[in-house]
Amino acid sequence: MNAIMIVELKKHLQDKGLAFWMLILPILFTVLFISVFTTGDNEVVNQEIIQSIVPGYIVMFVFFIMISMVQVFIKDRNRGMTARLASTPLKSYYYLLGKWLPFTFIVIIQIVVLFLFGKVVYDVSLGQPIILLILSLFITFTVTAIGLAMALTVNTENMGIALTQIIALGGAMLSGLWMPLEMMPDFMQTIAHFLPQYWAHQSFQDAMAGTTQVPELLQTLVVLFAIGAAAFIIAIIRYPYFLKRAVK
Amino acid sequence: MLTINNVTKHYDKTEALKHVSITIPGGACYGLVGPNGAGKSTLIKMITSIIRDYKGKIEFNEKRITDKTKQKLGYVPQDIILEEDISAFSNLQLFGRLYNLKGNSLNQRIKEVLALIGLSERGKDKVFAFSGGMKRRLNIGCALMHNPDLIIMDEPTVGIDPQSRKYIFKMIEDLKTAGKTVIYASHYMEEVEKLCDYVAFLDRGEMIENGAISELLQQYAVPSIYVKGSGIPQDKLEQYGTVSQEDGAFILYTEKALEAMEHIISYCRENRLDVERMELVHPRLEDVFFRLTGSNLRD
Ligand SMILES: Nc1ncnc2c1ncn2[C@@H]1O[C@H](COP(=O)(O)OP(=O)(O)OP(=O)(O)O)[C@@H](O)[C@H]1O
Ligand SMILES: [Mg+2]
Repeated sequence: MNAIMIVELKKHLQDKGLAFWMLILPILFTVLFISVFTTGDNEVVNQEIIQSIVPGYIVMFVFFIMISMVQVFIKDRNRGMTARLASTPLKSYYYLLGKWLPFTFIVIIQIVVLFLFGKVVYDVSLGQPIILLILSLFITFTVTAIGLAMALTVNTENMGIALTQIIALGGAMLSGLWMPLEMMPDFMQTIAHFLPQYWAHQSFQDAMAGTTQVPELLQTLVVLFAIGAAAFIIAIIRYPYFLKRAVK
Repeated sequence: MLTINNVTKHYDKTEALKHVSITIPGGACYGLVGPNGAGKSTLIKMITSIIRDYKGKIEFNEKRITDKTKQKLGYVPQDIILEEDISAFSNLQLFGRLYNLKGNSLNQRIKEVLALIGLSERGKDKVFAFSGGMKRRLNIGCALMHNPDLIIMDEPTVGIDPQSRKYIFKMIEDLKTAGKTVIYASHYMEEVEKLCDYVAFLDRGEMIENGAISELLQQYAVPSIYVKGSGIPQDKLEQYGTVSQEDGAFILYTEKALEAMEHIISYCRENRLDVERMELVHPRLEDVFFRLTGSNLRD
């Protein structure tokens, strides 16, 4: 498993596209939207907006890792690497873990960097850093599990990219990452409660403000974990079919 | 020893292999020959347990192929399958680790294999910048990292220059000398004839014949004579066997080749016919395949 992981990390480090999607683009968006929405004179309101936009864009952009996940798996499948590896003593679930774990590292690093960016540039408060970290681990699990399920299910890279856009952008809109939920119609607020983005965003904001309520935090963690676990189960169910298609 | 016992494999519609049985003795170089779509790669993928849903039984040293047996088995895929964005060294490292090599012995082995495939100088370079022949050699190198007892190569010489081909032949000769068992799938009869001790002919999923090459040649290949000259009547030659024409010359297939040669020479002398060239043609594997299937491997 380590062998696969090391190679994946090497490749990810060289992947400029990944750095763009995961770090540069979210920073650009954050800066742009903060400058658009904080034109008022009221410092307190402005800081409130920033406190919402920073975690909002973090939650939105962690989902873009799914594109890379789909690309890596589809590419491996199509060029026969998955099949070639099946001829070695590598156990197939170690193959899966070896591919998956590096993505979790990337997402964790992404979240940390983006929070630090918010801290350094906009002086957002990170009131409860440990809770932020725990939340980050859970959302990382959720996102990469969905990515894994998707990567093992879709037939083409384009389909994966399209689905990622729907999940990332649609989810962002419906979960109030772009505008406060209170401004949206009731039924959309109800939908939001089914989306991991909504829960992650709420709990991130609470933890940043230092106002986390334990029951609410637990609720978020359970939702994130449950969605992630469901996705993981889908991934495991899909895996044999993926392997079958990998044998060209 | 590898035994393939009555294996059958269907893809959705195509029947890729039908009741194929082959026994491959340890230490032998065994050729798998057949036209496109014959089922060579399918059979190889079954041996390497990439394909697992098939009927029949495949055993290596009387044991089913498991993760433990896979440790003794090296597979060179027909396509070049490498991590192109990392170096040759890192590719070998990857495969070494997959076969549980570690630390010093891993690094030592990477150096050895790089030398073996003639890429010592290029170890640090990324694979995408390699030529086709270099990638082919690395493709083989990755399968040799763990020093397997059984090496299975699926058309390892496709699309490479004579230089690289020579290199690969040398590697296979070395493997044979080291007592390894080699399975070698190829379209190229000459290669198989040169490298292998045994051969199995596959055609449309069926194993049509197999055995020691020398015996098959004796059994099936009719000796032939190449005759080129002016005015030699075809029906005269046909007294001795079957005749075919090739670039203005005759090929005469006959069991009594030497005798026929004598007769033809004296006939030509008597009739003052000019013989430009006449020679005994060494029987080739190609002819065996032709005899068995009625078609040439490549047309
Ligand atoms: N993944 C697959 N799905 C469906 N049919 C397949 C698949 N792989 C191979 N086949 C079919 O099985 C048959 C045998 O193919 P195989 O690749 O084993 O032949 P081969 O002897 O290796 O040919 P080549 O010399 O072209 O490599 C062919 O008819 C091929 O179309
Ligand atoms: Mg083939």
